[in-house]
Amino acid sequence: MDIFFTVLVFGLLLGGIYGLVSIGLNLIFGVVRIVNFAQGELVMFGMYGGFFAWHWWGINPYLSVFLVAPLVGLLGVAIQRLVIQPLQHEPNMQIFATFGLLMLFQNLMLMVSRGEAYSVGGQVGSTVLTVGDLKLSLVRVVTLVAATLITIGLHLFLARTMTGKAIRAVTQDKRAARAMGINVEKTFLITFGIGAALAGMAGVLLTPIYSITPGVGGNFILAAFAVVVLGGLGSVWGAYLGGLVVGIVEAFAGFYIDPVLRSAVWFVIFLIVLVVKPSGLLGQVGAEEVGFREQH
Amino acid sequence: MRALKSWLAGLVALATLALAPAAQAQAPIKVGALNPYSGPLALYGTEVTRGYELAVDRLNASGGVLGRRFELIRGDVTSPQQGIATVEQLVTRDKVDLFVGTYISAIALTASDAAQRYNKLYWETNALAAQLTERGLPNFVRAGPDGPAFAAMSAAAVRELIAPALKKDMRGLTVWIESEDSIYGTQIAQVQRRILETFGAKIVGFGAHSARTVDLNDTVLRIRQANPDVLVQTGYVPDGNLLLRTLRDQGVKPGAILYVGTGDTPETLQALGEKYMDGILIVGYPRNDITEAFGPGAKAYLEAYRAKYKADPIAPQGMNAYTGFLILAETIKAANSIEPDKIQAAAAKLDKPEHSYPSGHGVKFDKNFQNLRAGLTVSQWQGGKLATVYPKLAVTPGVTLKPLARP
Repeated sequence: MDIFFTVLVFGLLLGGIYGLVSIGLNLIFGVVRIVNFAQGELVMFGMYGGFFAWHWWGINPYLSVFLVAPLVGLLGVAIQRLVIQPLQHEPNMQIFATFGLLMLFQNLMLMVSRGEAYSVGGQVGSTVLTVGDLKLSLVRVVTLVAATLITIGLHLFLARTMTGKAIRAVTQDKRAARAMGINVEKTFLITFGIGAALAGMAGVLLTPIYSITPGVGGNFILAAFAVVVLGGLGSVWGAYLGGLVVGIVEAFAGFYIDPVLRSAVWFVIFLIVLVVKPSGLLGQVGAEEVGFREQH
Repeated sequence: MRALKSWLAGLVALATLALAPAAQAQAPIKVGALNPYSGPLALYGTEVTRGYELAVDRLNASGGVLGRRFELIRGDVTSPQQGIATVEQLVTRDKVDLFVGTYISAIALTASDAAQRYNKLYWETNALAAQLTERGLPNFVRAGPDGPAFAAMSAAAVRELIAPALKKDMRGLTVWIESEDSIYGTQIAQVQRRILETFGAKIVGFGAHSARTVDLNDTVLRIRQANPDVLVQTGYVPDGNLLLRTLRDQGVKPGAILYVGTGDTPETLQALGEKYMDGILIVGYPRNDITEAFGPGAKAYLEAYRAKYKADPIAPQGMNAYTGFLILAETIKAANSIEPDKIQAAAAKLDKPEHSYPSGHGVKFDKNFQNLRAGLTVSQWQGGKLATVYPKLAVTPGVTLKPLARP
């Protein structure tokens, strides 16, 4: 029973990581209706940002996140304006474009780092909270807390603020929203910016515990897609809960079955969800047809 | 204009003909150096080729071999498919005579195959996969160690170094073997298990994980349950670092930790901190602090490297590559040719004792042209630096094995 609880807690913490990385992806997917293949690279930029802030100026990642996340958000706005918006009538091309960005960003960081892996030293990465028998990495706990707070915050933002309502209107019906006077292009810019900033934030918060390489984004992106599909396309709570589910399943599969199979297990779940309820646990029905059906 | 062009062409052709005989006599031996010079492994690919460059400098200083100097031509290879294309380019456009390489086994596999189609020698100095020599390609020779050699050195380290330090009998010593799950890690892990079992060790766990994994808590929980005396890990840098971090966070403390192939870079030290890294053992290519008795010329290599590149060596792969190239030159001399069949015939007859070269290599090829006397050492993190601690011959006087226990 003891071990069971330990594995469950580790699963929750891992789920927090997946949730945080996926929330931004889900927002972009739900609103702008494109699959942003470069989302992992935005996380990667967050990590490099966190590393350089620490390496050059000695700033703790928990402080530099307030600088780095908005910067990555601005990058997201630029991507939307310069790459996605010009292709707005070609949704399939938009997907290829984000893939192109993935390669561009990875190779850019390759050029900068020459392939050397970077790590942040210091206390943050090694601080462990002892709760009874459990030893919890502080960084992972903070990540789970951040994921929870962001999910709640984003939910409130979308429900209560004018900008949030505009985003929801655009998500439901782009043409009608435009007819109501909502600036759809601006809404997309804001959404992509927020989605990118969330990715950047996830990156900075994870900087203390991972080796940073240009390809590190790829380690998260597959899980993020599984989370987004499982939780429901376009649903903020879906991304959060989906992340927790994937994290818990992976932890249990890894410990009780075999660590080698941990990814395989949630791929199986991914497939089952796609067959049984393609829109995911909490998603809007029809969202799964993104790219194949004209978005009105 | 056309008349001028054809007149010029005629002049150039005449000049070439006039100079040709002279050029023939001094035609350099063009060596295609295949490594990743771009991409995530560029740092190590470049380091390996620096070893070749230093070897070429040294050999050319004494006139090269067979009256011909060496000329190194770089071929960037970052993927197995690119290996084929680059080989073709180097053969047809640059007219290379033979190839050396390679930091990555998967690339060596396809590139050497492509080279065989042009009947060019592929002289391997670094890549580890056993398959490379087990294939029996007629143009392939490996001067450096293979994966099984790394596995054998790890098992020797467990028996000769770790068991005595832990004051435990080899029989019944509990070992957990962990590796990354591609052919690189699993192959070495399987040989490690086989050898350790013949030594009498008890393998209490045989685990694998993806090199790109985001979480190793399940693996570490299992290790904690098994409570091994020794943990052996074979993998790459990110998963190696993550494993150490997770072990540290969870307070799991095997009696000894032995890493194969990674765990020896400044970044790992940065990530884990000196206090945690101290005591950890690494199996790898011989480093710069080995004795002259173990690796004659190691100090000279270090000086030549510093003089040419104005920095310290980045990784021991370079000196291993340097040694491999020197052995190539000797084999060419013995064969009096660069043709693959003559090289293999000459290589089969070579017999030089261990510790004849800077990386501690000797020369004795088996029937698959794998050098059985390639040098490897075990080092230990001590005070934030790596010190060679095994075999005894390689250890600088005054250096002792420090405690293996985790802090």
